[in-house]
Amino acid sequence: MKTVYVCSNTVTGIYSAIYDAWKARKGEEECSVALRGAVETELFCEYVEVEETVHKAQAVEALICRHLGREAYWDIYHAVLAADTGKGDAILGAMLAAKTIPDSRRIMEHLSHPKVEKVFELSRSVIGEAHFLKGAVRFRELAGGVLYARISPKAQVLTCLAPHFADRLPLENWMIYDRVHRMFVIHEAKKRWILVQDEFLDPERLPDLTEEEKEYTKLWKGFVHAVSVESRENLKLQRQHLPLRFRPDMVEYM
Amino acid sequence: MSSSESMTTYTYEGIPQYMPQGAGGLRPSMFQKLNILADAAKYDVACTSSGTARSNDGTGMGSCERSGICHSYSADGRCISLLKILFTNECIYDCKYCINRRSNDVIRTSFTPDEVCTLTIEFYRRNYIEGLFLSSGILRSPDYTMELIYAAIYKLRKEYNFQGYIHVKAIPGASKELIQKVGFLADRMSVNLELPTAESLKLLAPHKTRKNILTPMRLVQNRMAENKQELALYRNAPGFVPAGQSTQMIIGATPETDFQIMQVAQSLYQRFELKRVFYSAFIHVNEDSLLPARTDEGPPLLREHRLYQADWLLRYYHFRAEELLSEENPNFNVLFDPKCNWALKHLGQFPVEINRADYKMLLRVPGLGYKSAVRIVKARRVGTLDFSDLKKIGVVLKRAMYFITCNGKMLYPTKLEEDYIARNLLSAGEKLPGEVVNMGYHQLSLFDDVGFSGKMQQYM
Ligand code: SF4
Repeated sequence: MKTVYVCSNTVTGIYSAIYDAWKARKGEEECSVALRGAVETELFCEYVEVEETVHKAQAVEALICRHLGREAYWDIYHAVLAADTGKGDAILGAMLAAKTIPDSRRIMEHLSHPKVEKVFELSRSVIGEAHFLKGAVRFRELAGGVLYARISPKAQVLTCLAPHFADRLPLENWMIYDRVHRMFVIHEAKKRWILVQDEFLDPERLPDLTEEEKEYTKLWKGFVHAVSVESRENLKLQRQHLPLRFRPDMVEYM
Repeated sequence: MSSSESMTTYTYEGIPQYMPQGAGGLRPSMFQKLNILADAAKYDVACTSSGTARSNDGTGMGSCERSGICHSYSADGRCISLLKILFTNECIYDCKYCINRRSNDVIRTSFTPDEVCTLTIEFYRRNYIEGLFLSSGILRSPDYTMELIYAAIYKLRKEYNFQGYIHVKAIPGASKELIQKVGFLADRMSVNLELPTAESLKLLAPHKTRKNILTPMRLVQNRMAENKQELALYRNAPGFVPAGQSTQMIIGATPETDFQIMQVAQSLYQRFELKRVFYSAFIHVNEDSLLPARTDEGPPLLREHRLYQADWLLRYYHFRAEELLSEENPNFNVLFDPKCNWALKHLGQFPVEINRADYKMLLRVPGLGYKSAVRIVKARRVGTLDFSDLKKIGVVLKRAMYFITCNGKMLYPTKLEEDYIARNLLSAGEKLPGEVVNMGYHQLSLFDDVGFSGKMQQYM
């Protein structure tokens, strides 16, 4: 009978589920991972609630690095953040498939395997969204000098963005709020960034914008307008590059 | 290289801070200045922030990503990556195509170095931009202007400790020393070729010469080469223009063919080792008898688009200009991109067997990009590929199917004939640029001047 490991939609959750499935030494057809809230009940399946621990997650990370190599780890690291309920299952499937080939480190080359292909696609889309947001994040200066940005991504990209901005703005106090997944990343000047659930911080109760902030918003809007060449206007092209869904969080379109 | 002397002897006197017309001699607000000097810079097409990777050293602001980052898109669909501004739109020259030429009656203004720094820093910390693109009209003399630019980016790097991307225009005619000093602070430098040939330059930019443009280009190239050796010896030697240099030329203001333009681009890549050549569709901003007559057509965007596609083929697909065009066939096809056009003219080299063809030949298949080609080479090491695998890899089968086999078989039986394939590609909704889709036959004949119309009739 097939065992379905049910876990939360978090990195720790999914890796813990994979840990349990791996430990049970099941074959590809005998196990799968499902996210809580997105379980499609099938006949002849046994559903197991996963006990989620950091220890299990770390063990799986190490396993991936050791057996599948850096590149595959990078793909899986991103796939696990995707907005897709089948991601845990795809990762588990790809890992099990890697056992069956001569060189497990080349697993990501086996794109004809549906699970491998899925991991590959998920990772592309997450990397794409994270890269896009590295440009589209808009910090606004709040009273007290803290820079605050709000994003509404499909995937849980905060952990992809945080190292980028921590490197770039090491001397600033800043935070980014992912309102879809209700998480904050917070960076205090010269310190390491941290990830926080919004239960601990209320995005509705933030200090006001500074006067300077309003001035720079105006300057930026003026700039965005001024650099466009009228005789080349092409709103369709603009929309292709900058989908409407990102604009509510970008000051130049507010 | 201590530059503190040049900083202290430098004065801001003489930088015009007035708006002679329109504002009654009042000092313009920051908002007005930025509007004027961004508006005046917008015809420069380069806005990339790619080519160099750098982490912050922990003491300042900014970093660089090798692939570059786009921050926004303007209404013309172009990426906004850098704060692209002129230092001043004053100019002693009179280039016919330029809005800032001295004979134009436009509002003139200038930034101060501090204003440039503050704007860059404040925009950057809000994540509006990847960095600064500083160009300028020529105030008093090339050296005077270059000195001002140097003062601005010196401050930005040394006083504001800015570690993000900086692209600086080298002013033709500026001294070697100044250009070198700037090069040690900038990530990228560019000198605009302006027009494809020396004759055209003489005609439309009477104060510039080809020599004045190529000299700083060569200087930057040589200095970059020396710098590579310095860096090999001393890891901490200061870097010189680490993201390389680029240039741009205006397309359609003068009568050069696509073939001439591509040959110029090719030699710039080979002989000057440029990172990028940009093509800028000519935009009518001035009335001048030396410029082409104004039409309702707008800038030649399709032509520009084809040139970029061909440029891509030169840089990443191992094509040469002479393969794509010839004296007899000197312009690109309106209906097909340059690679597809090449393939249609060289059907003898097709079909290509996906499981065996070498990487370079894969690159020549329409509908198959260099990323797909890499993936194919990897994937076929572990198994034989069929058409469904190609789809997963990202090959556009709709286009590629006429040119490939998998295990000796084509996807559908097709004829290997130019007319047949061309007609099928077109009826399959070959991705035509908007300009073509929206055009009736009558308008298409407007491409007569660049030789597009003959092809049209052949395929319609
Ligand atoms: S030098 Fe020529 S192109 Fe440059 S700003 Fe002056 S007039 Fe314009």
